Order: sequence, then structure tokens, then C-alpha cells
Amino acid sequence: MNFSFTDDQVLLRNSVRSALDEHCKPAHVRAMMDDAKGYGEALWAEMAKLGWLGLPFPEEQGGAGLGLVELAIVLEELGRAAYPGPYVSSVVLGGLGLMLAGSSAQKEKWLSAIAAGQARASAALLEDSLDWSPASTAATATRSGDGWALTGVKRFVPWAHVADVILVPARSPEGLSLFLVDPRAPGVALKAMVGIDLANRWSEMRLDGARVAADAVLGQPGGAGPTLDALLRRAAVCASAEMLGAARRCLDMSVDYVKVREQFGQPIGSFQAIRHRCAEMLMEAENAHAAVYYAAWALTAGAEDAPVATSICKSYVSDAARKVCGDSIQVHGGIGFTWEYDLHLYMKRAKALEPLYGDAEFHRELIVRHVAA
Amino acid sequence: MDLNNTPEDIAYRKQVRTWLEQNLPRDEIRTLDDRRRWHRKLHEAGFLGMGWPKEYGGAGARPMEQAIVADEMARVNAPAPTNGLGLGIVGPTIVVHGTEQQKKRYLPKILSAEELWCQLYSEPNAGSDLASLKTSAVEAGDHFVVNGQKIWTSSGAVADWGLLLARTDTKVAKHKGISCFLMRMRQPGVDVRPLKQITGSSEFCEVFMTNARVEQADLIGRLGEGWAIAQTTLGYERGGRALARITSYASQYHRLIAAARRLKRHGRALIDDPVVRQKLGRIWADLEVERYQALRTLTQLERGEHPGASGSLTKLSYSEFEKRFNELALEILGPYGQLTDGAPDEFKLEIDTAVGDRGTWAYSYLWSRAGTIYAGSSEIQKNVIGERILGLPKETRADRAGASR
Repeated sequence: MNFSFTDDQVLLRNSVRSALDEHCKPAHVRAMMDDAKGYGEALWAEMAKLGWLGLPFPEEQGGAGLGLVELAIVLEELGRAAYPGPYVSSVVLGGLGLMLAGSSAQKEKWLSAIAAGQARASAALLEDSLDWSPASTAATATRSGDGWALTGVKRFVPWAHVADVILVPARSPEGLSLFLVDPRAPGVALKAMVGIDLANRWSEMRLDGARVAADAVLGQPGGAGPTLDALLRRAAVCASAEMLGAARRCLDMSVDYVKVREQFGQPIGSFQAIRHRCAEMLMEAENAHAAVYYAAWALTAGAEDAPVATSICKSYVSDAARKVCGDSIQVHGGIGFTWEYDLHLYMKRAKALEPLYGDAEFHRELIVRHVAA
Repeated sequence: MDLNNTPEDIAYRKQVRTWLEQNLPRDEIRTLDDRRRWHRKLHEAGFLGMGWPKEYGGAGARPMEQAIVADEMARVNAPAPTNGLGLGIVGPTIVVHGTEQQKKRYLPKILSAEELWCQLYSEPNAGSDLASLKTSAVEAGDHFVVNGQKIWTSSGAVADWGLLLARTDTKVAKHKGISCFLMRMRQPGVDVRPLKQITGSSEFCEVFMTNARVEQADLIGRLGEGWAIAQTTLGYERGGRALARITSYASQYHRLIAAARRLKRHGRALIDDPVVRQKLGRIWADLEVERYQALRTLTQLERGEHPGASGSLTKLSYSEFEKRFNELALEILGPYGQLTDGAPDEFKLEIDTAVGDRGTWAYSYLWSRAGTIYAGSSEIQKNVIGERILGLPKETRADRAGASR
């Protein structure tokens, strides 16, 4: 039993951090907030070169064949930098989705392209009801010629406007099915949904009899339920890792600030009211770390408690990140409330991820179903 | 990072489990003598003082092996050994800071429970500010003369010996004038009075010392090193039982779920009430996070690293969790949770308490208030975290400079 990073994992974290410190400074994040596409091609190409875009993919598809612990390490750093771009949508939602259920032809086509930085992917997991249970999917797929026609409305599809392929769940006569959809195809309409985290992008995706070919089904028609459950778990842990990184950044900025900010003739960090709050923030961040990496390990290792560990992770970290980021604004006082100061970049990243892939209440219900079964 | 247990650890766990199946006392432990007998059985099996060097009766075991024994004991709700402070605090202090003679003299008798120990740290006016303690030890040839009052002395009523912090120099800064001693409790100058707590029981005592005697040979470390030694002993209170206590709470949790199936509100079982389910889901997440953290601590200990100030994070998080857990338990159980007697079986909590009584939910609830006060209150832990981990500036304090009185 060893709950600490290996030398390679520490090396990975350090190299990701130093690359982001150089290429993803707050100025870059702010520039992308105003950018039409919302992410920088140069950094994307750098990420491909560094092997981050294929990190969990098999080596034969240009990947590094690493597990979720390594992926979580990268995502924690991306959260720490409030990275603006389609990393999670491409590598986690699209990439892991393809890995879970794709045919060898589908994997061959897409994983290599994603890993090389030539294609971007996403998944359309939410509809109007905001129910993350795949069973709630209302979009439909009907046979049309050799292929299928998809109809329905998807919400909060991340980075759909730059995606080359989107995984879309829909009900076919066989049951819940998963399709690969080209967002630029006829019958597909995207409309931006602008949230508080401007370094993140969402779209509404309307499918109006959108045609896809027979080979666009991911896995068997009617067999998407388990794939979506598995994908949701991975996405929940990855989002938690990103929230953890954002919270760590807020904590670091707070600690630096309260050491130098003086009121009443002393650094405010010497006051117990401030110090105790910072200590609680660290405790929450450390607990969140344990929850993220335990779940990441459990999913990779196929541990028996992986599903419940996932729900523990997402529910705990959603609450912890909100508290840490919120408290960081409180200890900063007025400056933390200004647009100019960078704190809100990280606070908003954590907030945007909080409801995704099941909020804390969604996952607490799953915990009880597991434990009290 | 690999959280799988090694084949050796799995085999060891199996061995401990088998031993417990064969040796667990069939009858309830009622008297101190019953507990001593059980204690000796555990000692003979090599399950006590496991991390201590073999030459003094320990087993030289790895932290993981210690954790496995404690965890397996918790799994079957095995009674605790006696002499908890001797095993948990005094022994490790002597192992680290004691002379060869002290180790040979005291350690074997701690392990055999021939001599029971208590800890004489807190005073009525020295709680969180422990370094302001006033009990004095004045050198008089081959011994010291001790005068003063201690409070919150656990096991004081049964202890043969006490680990004492006393002031030996009033002219230096308060942290520097304290020394650490081993004091015989059964002597004319030592008066022990039980202290009744909000639980109604008396795990703690007050100890009055009037010209009590401590031998020169029973000074631990050098004169004036007592504060530094105490800092390390507070650390020993955290560690080996980290996994076991989670296992205990997990079994309590399942009893709580069983109760929530029977209890109703508006005609509906509590287990089907979404509000109750949310709370049960949250506390299980909190409990598991404490378990993950215990695994992190064990990883550190296995590598021979002392957790240091990060032990304050563990203590803060865990003791606050215990309060939340017990609050939820009593919320779900309603007045059943407050019963100290007469509860139907399905609403009883059957755990072994620190003093060897069969515990109740009510007792557990009340006792959970102690955890965020003893061994450094939550507020003190936050100070330690702020200063030593985050490097925040120290607050301006009136007592930093100058002599202690």
C-alpha cells in the first residue's frame, strides 16, 4: 500500500506545472476569454508535443497508456492554471468515451488524431432536465436509410464549437445508444451558452433529424447505458481534480496575500480569524486531494469500491472547492472582488465544474444507494 | 501510487484474524483484572508495543502491521487492552528519550500491564497554553520535590506511574523551564481525585502533589527539555489507530442505517427520506475521506517519515468529523440516541469505551465533544497549521519574552 506519487508522477506534475507557468499565465487566460475560439492553437500544439493530449490512450493510437492518476495530475495543474481550452472535452469526454466503447476503426480514426492535436472531441451528456442519469435521455434516434436520424436538444456541450466529433446519447428502438456526430453536419445547430467562467465554453446543440452513418454508433445500439455510467465516473473524477487545482491556486494566493497585507499595523495573516480560515482551507484541500487520488486509483485499478469512491470524490470536492475558493475571496477582502485581480478566474473554474457530471447531492444519493444496498 | 495491499500484509491480516477468532474473550470484560488478562494475551501474541525495539519486549513491527492489528480488532469489536497511555504515550516517549536504564526498568512492565500509567500535563490554568504550567519540581540532592495540581489526567485513578511535566526553572522563558519526569503515583504526597465529566463517568482525574518525590534517575531527557519532549509525545497520539477508528465508525454507520430502516417520519421510513439520505451520504463520504487520509499517514509512517505538523491536519479533520458523525446519529435516533439504559437492542450501540464499559450512542455523542479539546484543541491545531505549514506570521503575544513568572 502506497498512497504517494511515484517519481514519474512527481516528474509529470512538475513538468506540466512548469509548462503551464510559462504558456498559460493569467494574461493568456484573459486573452482567451475574449477570443472567438477561446483557446490558443500554439499551446494546443505544445500540449500535443508534450504528450498530454493522448495521455490515457493506448500507445498504438499515439497515446502514453497512462492511467487516471496521471490524468488527474495533469487536470489538477490545468485547474490550477484555469486553462482555457477543450482538454477535458477532447481527452476525457471524447477520448475516454471512445476508449470505453469505440470499435477499433473508430479508435484508430479519432484517438490518434486527438492525441496528435489534429482533432477535438466532446460529449453531449446533458439535456433540458439537467439529469445526469443516462436513463433520462430524451433525444431520439430513428433508422434513416443505412444510418440514423437524431432529434433532440442538448445543453451545456463543452467546446462543441471547436469539436470535430461529439458523442451524443439518444434513444433508438433498441434502447439508449451513443452516436458520433459531426457538429458541422446538416441538421445540427450550435448556439453559445455563456457562463461565468469565460475561459470555458458551452453550446446548446439542436439536432433536427441530423443524419449519421451506420458506423457512427459507438458500441452496440441499445448498449450505451454502462458506457455512459463509466464515462460519467471518469469525468466526475477528472472534474474533481480540476476543481482541486483551482482551489489550491486560490489557497496559495490567499496565503501569499495575508502574509503581506497589513491592517492595524500587522500582516492580517497574524490574526487568528484569518489564520484559522486559511488552516481550514488547507484541511479541505488536503482532504480533497485524498478523495481525488483515491478515486482515480480505484477506477484505474478496477477496485471494488470504485463507483462509490467516485461519488465520494465528486460530492466532497465540489463542496470543498466552493468553500476554499469562496474563503479565498473573503480573506482577500475588496481586492479579491475586482475583475482585475486574478482570483476570480480560479474561483469561477471551480464553480463551473461544481454541478457537472453530477453535483454533490446527486452523488450523495448514489453513495447511500451503494452503502445501504 | 498503489493502494493494493502487499501479499505479506494480506497474509498478516489473515493471521491476525485467525488469532482473534480463536482468542477473543467469550465473556464481557467487567473488571480491571478481566481487562489485564486480555491485555496479557494480546501481549503474548506480540500485538502490544509492536513498534518498540525487540530488546525491550516490543516486536519491531512495521506501522502497517500495527495498523492491521488495530483494524482487525476494531472489525470484531475486540476489547481494548488496558494501559492505553502507557502504550500510546509513555512507552514511545521512553523509547525515544529515555536512558538505557529507564527503558529496561519501565518498558517491559508497561507491556505486561504490571504498571499502569497516566499523563500529568494539563493544569487548571494551563490548558491550551500548556507551557504556562506552574507545578514545580525543585532539585534536592538525589531527588526532586514536586508541588502543584494537575487536571484531565486520564486513568489517574488506577495509575501506578505518571509522565509528569513540571517547571524546574522559573528564570528562563516559559517554554525553556519545563522538564519531563516519571513519577510514582502511589506515594503520600500524591492525592488523586476522580473528575466527573458530562458523560457521567470519570475517565479523568485531578491530581494534587504536595512535596511529592521524583528520583533524579526518573528525569527524562535533560533539565529544561520537557517542552520539546512533550511536543513529540503529542504526536504519538496520532497514527497507529488511524484505520481502526474508521473501521469502528463504519460498523456504527451500518447500525445507524439499520435503525433508519425501522424509524419513521410522516409514515415513511427514515432511510427513504431524501433529506436523511443526503445526510447519510455526506457522513459516509466524510468517513471515507478520513480513511483515505489514514492511508496517506500510514504511507508516511511506512517510509519512516514523522508526520510532524501535518498531524495537526489529521487531528483537526478527524475530531471535527467525530462530532458531526455523532450529531447525525442522535438526529436520526431521536430520543433512543439519548438513552443510557433501557434501549431496545436494535437501537443500542455496542462498542467498547475507553474505560471498558459497554458504550451507548449517548455516551459516544457526549464523548465526541472531548476530541476537539484534548491533545490540542481545534483552535490550537489551526494555529499550528497556520504557523508551521502555511508559514503565516505569528500573532503578537504577551508572553513570548521574559521569565515565566
